[in-house]
Amino acid sequence: MSDGAPVGAAVALPLVLAGLAYSAAVMDAAFRTGDGPAAPLRESVLLLLRQRRRTLASDVPLVRIGVISLPVAALLAAAVIPLDGGPGGSRVWNLPVSVVWFNAMEVVAWASLWLAGWGANSAFPLVGGYRFLAQGLAYELPHMFALITASLGAGSLDFGAIAAAQDEVWFAVWMPVAFAVYLLSALAMAFWGPMEHPVADDLGGGAAAELSGPDRLLFFAGRLALVAVAAAAAVPLFLGGGAGPWLPGWAWTLIKTVAVLALLVWLRGRWPVIRMDRFMTAAWAVLIPAALLQALVVGVVVLD
Amino acid sequence: MGLRERLVRFATACPHVFVVTVPGATRTRLLLEAELRRRRGRPVASPAAATTLVVCGTPGPELGTAVDTVWSGIPAPRALVRLEETASAEEVAAALDRAARELADVPAQWAAAAARSREGPWAPGGDGEHDHMSGHGHGGHEHGMEPPMGLAMAGRADDRDGLKLDVLHVPLGPALKDWPAGLVLRLTLQGDIVQDAEAGVARGRGGGASFWDEPWLRAAAGERVPEGEAERRRAASHLDSVGRLLAVAGWENAADRARGLRDDVLAARSAKVLAVRFAGFARRTRQSRTLRWMLRDVGGIDRAMADRHGLAGPEARHLGDVFDRLSGWLDDTGAALARADSTAPLEGTGGPRGPVGSRAAAPVLDVLPELLGGAELAAARLIVAGLDPDLDRLAEPAEAPGE
Repeated sequence: MSDGAPVGAAVALPLVLAGLAYSAAVMDAAFRTGDGPAAPLRESVLLLLRQRRRTLASDVPLVRIGVISLPVAALLAAAVIPLDGGPGGSRVWNLPVSVVWFNAMEVVAWASLWLAGWGANSAFPLVGGYRFLAQGLAYELPHMFALITASLGAGSLDFGAIAAAQDEVWFAVWMPVAFAVYLLSALAMAFWGPMEHPVADDLGGGAAAELSGPDRLLFFAGRLALVAVAAAAAVPLFLGGGAGPWLPGWAWTLIKTVAVLALLVWLRGRWPVIRMDRFMTAAWAVLIPAALLQALVVGVVVLD
Repeated sequence: MGLRERLVRFATACPHVFVVTVPGATRTRLLLEAELRRRRGRPVASPAAATTLVVCGTPGPELGTAVDTVWSGIPAPRALVRLEETASAEEVAAALDRAARELADVPAQWAAAAARSREGPWAPGGDGEHDHMSGHGHGGHEHGMEPPMGLAMAGRADDRDGLKLDVLHVPLGPALKDWPAGLVLRLTLQGDIVQDAEAGVARGRGGGASFWDEPWLRAAAGERVPEGEAERRRAASHLDSVGRLLAVAGWENAADRARGLRDDVLAARSAKVLAVRFAGFARRTRQSRTLRWMLRDVGGIDRAMADRHGLAGPEARHLGDVFDRLSGWLDDTGAALARADSTAPLEGTGGPRGPVGSRAAAPVLDVLPELLGGAELAAARLIVAGLDPDLDRLAEPAEAPGE
């Protein structure tokens, strides 16, 4: 990968991400149905054993690109997140504008859902694709403002520098609005929990309605990986990175990541699905002004 | 036992079931849902996600076609279970056991899968109209392209903003999760906006009276029925509707609680304990700001509209939007649970879905197209779930000539 990046991290990253995604699946099963830790394994084995089915006149390459790009985007986004916090901390790719890269990889999910929804040549997945485009319009701007606010506080677009700037006080404490907006938009970006309208059951699974077998496994594993990456990025952005007493940086990063992940997973059962025809107004009339005000406050404090 | 078989057994231990319910088979569906909960399985939303197709009741011709379409959409390994209207809890459990054995029969499943993949992807038959999952033929390329695989392309029409948009004809139901048994809505969609809707009923062959009205029908036939039994049925009926609406609203946890309560109410658990549990559930549901935000101003019915269509069920008593109707169901359930231990003889014909013996579902079918016009597809599903017509009432053999 790039200079000075430990080879170990490059090998470990997919494993860590897979482990986090699996733990998210286990927590989800435990919170919602009380199933044991084997439930996601069961599901995965079943999907691997199953036949692939195709709809009539479907665009197979498009669907495959959509499905595969989800876990790939999550992995590429994870590559720039520091594992032990601090500048120069070990990560796979030491990119000075890592926040921008992270955000760009998240937006790949737009293409993923749209391609998977469009390619199936079936009405419900198509509508699921529409839904995610509307969702993107609603969440992406507040999300970017939340990222910008954290960057503004640290004066850097680098995750490592942002984490290092939180020596005294976590950004979550003095930019609570940005943190809340980040968490909400993380749910929307990973179409998870109350934001899972694009794949909701009312359309038979929406964009994922026609996916079966290994396609389905990759798609939903990719979604969990996105949730995990969003949780992992919250740690250097708002929770002080790897800083903490006694334990080494990587342990704190992991603990904080799992805590945020557990919160995101738990939220899934707490709310009904949020429809974009209602949420759009709130996103543009409340979230964007609130995120901008937060950025203004942070900007004034930083200038002082 | 081979490795593959052991893997399949491990993987299919929790059944993933796509359920098709025929009007008149509500009792069988409730037994099936209870058995699925015991096995930690759950109903799934699409054939692609299912391993087992369960048909509750005996489908008529239209429902039969829908069942065939769903069956052809389930990837291998797969199993089909047909349950009669009169199936007992033991029969339901035995049928699911048989399905689990079929799924683990590796040689047979592999041979069937190979035969199917030689046939190629499913293709629409004569009209393809019953395929609820595939609104095939969309896309907007009117000029300069060959129609792909000989399929007709979508036509265009002005949408509500005067833009030319593709028009899709998408039937909703009769095989759809959390959907009233037998209801078929033929929608004309532009994007995800319903431009036009036509409601119909896919009937079963079994006939039989509505499960929810049964105590009142028995009382009308001269039997002495305790009021408490009827009130339990009323509470369960509303909890079933509430569970369905919450599931469509994407709140699976709350929907599961409603269904758990429903089954316990029918299982004659202590009314006092149930009333306490229900009160907690109802409070949480009512107080959910998000739920209120999502259901407000969806599918509003006013007095004039109710009178025009002759609505007679709870939807006529609790006028307003879907949230008001949910609130009304919760009120009625609470009141019914308060009388769940009454032993006085049942009188009157005030069943849970409107006067017993009337065709209370027919006006609901009449009002649906008016409510659905201009609604977004998600809102359309909420409107249907918020009315939850009981088509068992239209399924009486006298009403189903020629089937």
